[in-house]
Amino acid sequence: MTAPASAQPSAPVMRLLRRLYGLATSRESVSVLVSVLLTLVVGGVLVVINGDNPFVVYRSLFVHAFGSMQNLTNTLAAATPLIFTGLAVGISFRAGVWNIGAEGQLYLGAMGGAIVGVYLTNLWAPMHIALSLAVAMVCGGLWAWIMGFLKTKWNVDEVVTTMMGNYIAIHFTSYLANYPLKPPKAPIGSTDYVQESAQLPQFVPYSTLNAGFVIAIATAVVYWIFYRYTTTGYQMRTVGYNRLFARYAGMPSGRMILWAMFGSGALAGLAGCVEVLGVQYRFVQDMSPNYGFDGILVALLAMNSGPGIVLVAILFGALRSGGLGVERMTNVPSELSIVLTSVLILLVSSRYALVKLFRKERGTRA
Amino acid sequence: MLETLFNLHTLEAAFRIATPLLLAALGGSLTHKAGIFNIGLEGMMLIGAFSAVSFSYATNSWVVGLLGGLLFGLLTGLLFGLFTIDFRTDVIIIGTALNLLALGATTYLLRAIFQVRAGLSSPRIDAIPDVHIPFLEHLGFLKVLSGQSVLTYGGWILIVLLHVVIFRTPFGMHLRAAGEHPEVLAAAGISLRRVRYAAAAGCGALCGLSGAHLALGYLNQFVINITGGQGFIALAAVLFGQGNPVSVFLVTLLFGLADGISSNLQVLGVSGYFSLMVPYILTIVMLTIFAIRSGRKKSAIRA
Repeated sequence: MTAPASAQPSAPVMRLLRRLYGLATSRESVSVLVSVLLTLVVGGVLVVINGDNPFVVYRSLFVHAFGSMQNLTNTLAAATPLIFTGLAVGISFRAGVWNIGAEGQLYLGAMGGAIVGVYLTNLWAPMHIALSLAVAMVCGGLWAWIMGFLKTKWNVDEVVTTMMGNYIAIHFTSYLANYPLKPPKAPIGSTDYVQESAQLPQFVPYSTLNAGFVIAIATAVVYWIFYRYTTTGYQMRTVGYNRLFARYAGMPSGRMILWAMFGSGALAGLAGCVEVLGVQYRFVQDMSPNYGFDGILVALLAMNSGPGIVLVAILFGALRSGGLGVERMTNVPSELSIVLTSVLILLVSSRYALVKLFRKERGTRA
Repeated sequence: MLETLFNLHTLEAAFRIATPLLLAALGGSLTHKAGIFNIGLEGMMLIGAFSAVSFSYATNSWVVGLLGGLLFGLLTGLLFGLFTIDFRTDVIIIGTALNLLALGATTYLLRAIFQVRAGLSSPRIDAIPDVHIPFLEHLGFLKVLSGQSVLTYGGWILIVLLHVVIFRTPFGMHLRAAGEHPEVLAAAGISLRRVRYAAAAGCGALCGLSGAHLALGYLNQFVINITGGQGFIALAAVLFGQGNPVSVFLVTLLFGLADGISSNLQVLGVSGYFSLMVPYILTIVMLTIFAIRSGRKKSAIRA
């Protein structure tokens, strides 16, 4: 039996619609949607505690995140470091190792980049910036590589070493910023300002959005191409997916892990360097509000996909900059967005378990 | 020179600094032994600190404050348990998210409830008192053992208590089995779930106490992010001491001494930042040594 002629051109459209419908009603989408709604309810309760109307606050949050060109650029600026740290953690996750030391690697990269930016002079700007970024990548990358080495050589748990490495790096850079590199009369621990030739250009007046965002997007594209189209990327994923299989297939799993750790630390270092060259123009102690740890959550929510990491980082950035806007307009503390972020993570990362829980209760007990 | 670096005050300071680390690390020992890698100590402490100050502020009583810290720490531990044990969500994700949630929620509530920006200090907050033991004060250097906070002594009692519980009771055996050979536990008909929940709750409660000590025994106020990474030093102590209460105590004391000596070094004009790194460097070195030694015994492949 053949379909009526008139229906034939619309068949692909119907198929697309059916697929979209299937996607929208899939367990995945529904569980994510439920997680988002529950998160908004938790946040709403907090807003009510503060004596405000949740609907007004959420609307204000959205407007302050996306409502105008100015707000949008602030959101993208806030997302920039998270794209880098998200990609950084994503690299390690894909190779099956846990780099939870992005925070410390970020500080080392920021310091390395700042030193190049401050003390090298008379350089052509693109050259100066490139050199600064490269040094930052090496600083962050080597620090993570050491933990990878301990892992592959003696099987020292990289979760612990990268975690501990955070604080070694933070205290070490704080030392440099408070003693040898501190300019006279600086009120807090910091380096000098970087040379003008090392500063990343800003795009929009009154916004910290700068060329760092473009670098972040470019890095995400490279990340995507690397895992999709290169042999090394494929091997690295295979090592992460099944190390024994990778070994039987003759893939150098130890070397892959070392490279993954180096790459992961290098991108975390970039995050710090871009923050220095594009926003602060110097290294400042305690400059990162947990970007490195947030990167873990970004990579997790995005399931390590390159485009996904960019989107989730923008979502986190929107919450951050929207929350600051809300605080300016109402008296709702901006920490509302931290709570929303963390509750969302808790729920989304347990969504399968939650769905299963409900299904089991319906299936066997009721 | 040496006198400046190390004297009775240093020892006294070491005990004082070690107390919150010890309490949290004893909690972390419970989850460590139960086979749960808990990086959420920091968040549990922070929630304990905030609850303790709120309860002390509301009731004017440090005892109630302490119990409030303990209770909310315990609840946080149960929440941590719910996600890691029942929902089987990755323990590192939960720890990271929990730390973030604790920081966000305590800061938000501080600003929303108490209408202050950076910290809450008030004469209404009742502090945890110090205890003076008269006869010790005349016994030469032993006088450093007197005049410490109630929770310092509480922590010392807990070391003994937890040592006995972990190594001398059936529950302790189940706890260690939960970490080392969970399948054996199942074969023996013991609920792994229940053992791990108990560990998570106990860990939360002890971290709550630790936070209460930081807020009420130390500064007598709550400031944003009052824990400032101490939960991670406590985690280092747990890993260094392999979750054995006595070793963990000695490690926290060592960290406390390093900190005390570092303040003395600052008097001499030397930066304190290097001694701040000591706990973390020592932990990495020790774990590497453990790993090399166990690697020689059997070439293990970690799952």
